[in-house]
Amino acid sequence: MEIEIDSVSSPSKVKEIDGLLADVGYKVKSSELHQVAQNIERLENVIVNSSSSDISQFASDTIHYDPSDIGNWVDNLLSEFDHTNSLPYDFSQLSDLAQDQHHHHHHHHHQNHQLKVVTTVEEDSAIKLIHMLMTCADSLQRGNIQLAGSLIEGMQGLLTNMNTNSGIGKVAGYFIDALNRRIFGQNNIIHIENDVLYHHYYEACPYLKFAHFTANQAILEAFNGHDCVHVIDFNLMHGLQWPALIQALALRPGGPPFLRLTGIGPPSHDDRDNLREIGLRLAELARSVNVRFAFRGVAAWRLEDVKPWMLQVSSKEAVAVNSIMQLHRLLGSEPDPNNPSAIETVLGWIRSLNPKIMTVVEQEANHNEDGFMDRFTEALHYYSTVFDSLEACPVEPDKAMAEIYLQREICNVVCCEGPARVERHEPLIKWRERLGKTGFRPLHLGSNAFKQASMLLTLFSAEGYCVEENQGSLTLGWHSRPLIAASAWQAVPETLRFDH
Amino acid sequence: MVHHHHYHEYMQQKMRRNTSNQQQQNKRHKFFINDNIDILREILKRLDGPSLGVASCVCRLWCNLTNNDDSIWEHLCFRHVLTPPPATVRPVVVALGGYKRLYMVCVRPVLSRLSESERVMKRVWTRHEVQLSLSLFCIDSYERLAGGGGMIASDASPSSLMFLCNPINV
Repeated sequence: MEIEIDSVSSPSKVKEIDGLLADVGYKVKSSELHQVAQNIERLENVIVNSSSSDISQFASDTIHYDPSDIGNWVDNLLSEFDHTNSLPYDFSQLSDLAQDQHHHHHHHHHQNHQLKVVTTVEEDSAIKLIHMLMTCADSLQRGNIQLAGSLIEGMQGLLTNMNTNSGIGKVAGYFIDALNRRIFGQNNIIHIENDVLYHHYYEACPYLKFAHFTANQAILEAFNGHDCVHVIDFNLMHGLQWPALIQALALRPGGPPFLRLTGIGPPSHDDRDNLREIGLRLAELARSVNVRFAFRGVAAWRLEDVKPWMLQVSSKEAVAVNSIMQLHRLLGSEPDPNNPSAIETVLGWIRSLNPKIMTVVEQEANHNEDGFMDRFTEALHYYSTVFDSLEACPVEPDKAMAEIYLQREICNVVCCEGPARVERHEPLIKWRERLGKTGFRPLHLGSNAFKQASMLLTLFSAEGYCVEENQGSLTLGWHSRPLIAASAWQAVPETLRFDH
Repeated sequence: MVHHHHYHEYMQQKMRRNTSNQQQQNKRHKFFINDNIDILREILKRLDGPSLGVASCVCRLWCNLTNNDDSIWEHLCFRHVLTPPPATVRPVVVALGGYKRLYMVCVRPVLSRLSESERVMKRVWTRHEVQLSLSLFCIDSYERLAGGGGMIASDASPSSLMFLCNPINV
């Protein structure tokens, strides 16, 4: 459709043209024609770019307005398309879009289809939000900070109209906050101890329980027939994993062994010795069930600072190394051709201890890509699923604290680079490759572990969790997306290794 | 007035006659359950959980027995286990808090949760389920130890096992 617009200046000419338009039946002023022409071009673009399904839906749903009022008619059509279509990548209009919602509520022409607008606003806001998140991450990767900043403002505006108590609104809020921090720096950090958050995360969802019970089952089986056993825990926290193992050892046929536990954790900042307190508590429990028990705490800020002599492993004991979400933290060291990397060093001394078993539990996600955009997209998918599964938890304040715990992980993945970024999650397939290359071979977890995990999930009763077996390892996921993977390993004896 | 007095006396005499009748009846029935505690204990051991709860409300003697005699609860805990648990289990359970607590905190919610999902009311426990219950019980006991230390927020009910008690609607 073509409209030729001559620049008409004389008022008599304008009146003439207005009269002509009215005679033909159009209720439009010639002064408005320029804007109308632009809008028609926009409408044409939108119609051409939208899918046929959108158009057919549009054709059946639209309330038809009086087309003789051509200006408003084109405006209405355009606004209809803006709701049902994908985001046009015209950034100058992005912040307008969020405000358009308000305009449409007030414009009396739109009252008729306000109901339709309200029901689809939430879904479309979600789609817009995700698009904007991706665009923001992309612009950050390209170094366009200004654009990223304005997108963040737009997203925050969009969020005010959305439900942020659940679903995409909540997760997006955390990611927008993380992007904000990446650009503008840290602000309002919540001062809650990490181990307190960890405990609430343990209560709110089954991931840590699954990790503990599965690792314990593997350790129990590996310790069969041994009278002196030594467990090295890479992250003691409150020691919640160990009561169940102590009880299982107490009741094993033939009687309990002598159990030593070495717990590694960060140094306590006040006068307290947190590691020792946990050790005392575990010792009291062990004493009450007649298990001979000895505890040793090793305080270290980072796992790579721990040296094997600190663990005081004796050759007569069967050793189990237990790493719950700790190995990935070693992947951030700077590559140095002269020195082995942190992960190689640690895996090296683990091998030198000749453990009967090494239990490894890691997040089943790929958050260690170099490209920011890839990492961001992966993290958005992963944490959306985790937050989804958290919705099933009715227990407060566990749920709220668990969310803060996860928010810290999200911030680390999104905001930090270099050695500061410790949440370098890698999927099981990569760990298999890495551990295989450094001289470990996988141990199958067995049917007892699987049955126990399944039973644990039945008790947890939320219908979305699923346990799967993956080449001898177990994964726990939400609605067919695995979120955490547990595996067991043994060091291959030196003489059998062939270095290529 | 005279009628009232006669009526009173009449009622008192009737009540005296009734109590003496009852005493004669008691002498006739030699058996009274509260005089035979070992039989009472054997009966209580065979009750299910809810019935035990009701039984503890009958009188002070029954209440004392159900609350303090852990062997009654031991039978309840392992009633549906295929093979009786080994002798080593008892000292461990006692050390961790006793059979009554094991039942209330672990066995009852686990049983009800499992039977919900399988729609079978009376079933046999597998060894795995027993072990899992004992492990959860041990974690509960450990968390109660922590209550004094103040490191973990101590709740009245053990928070680790709250997921068992809350019906979750998804």
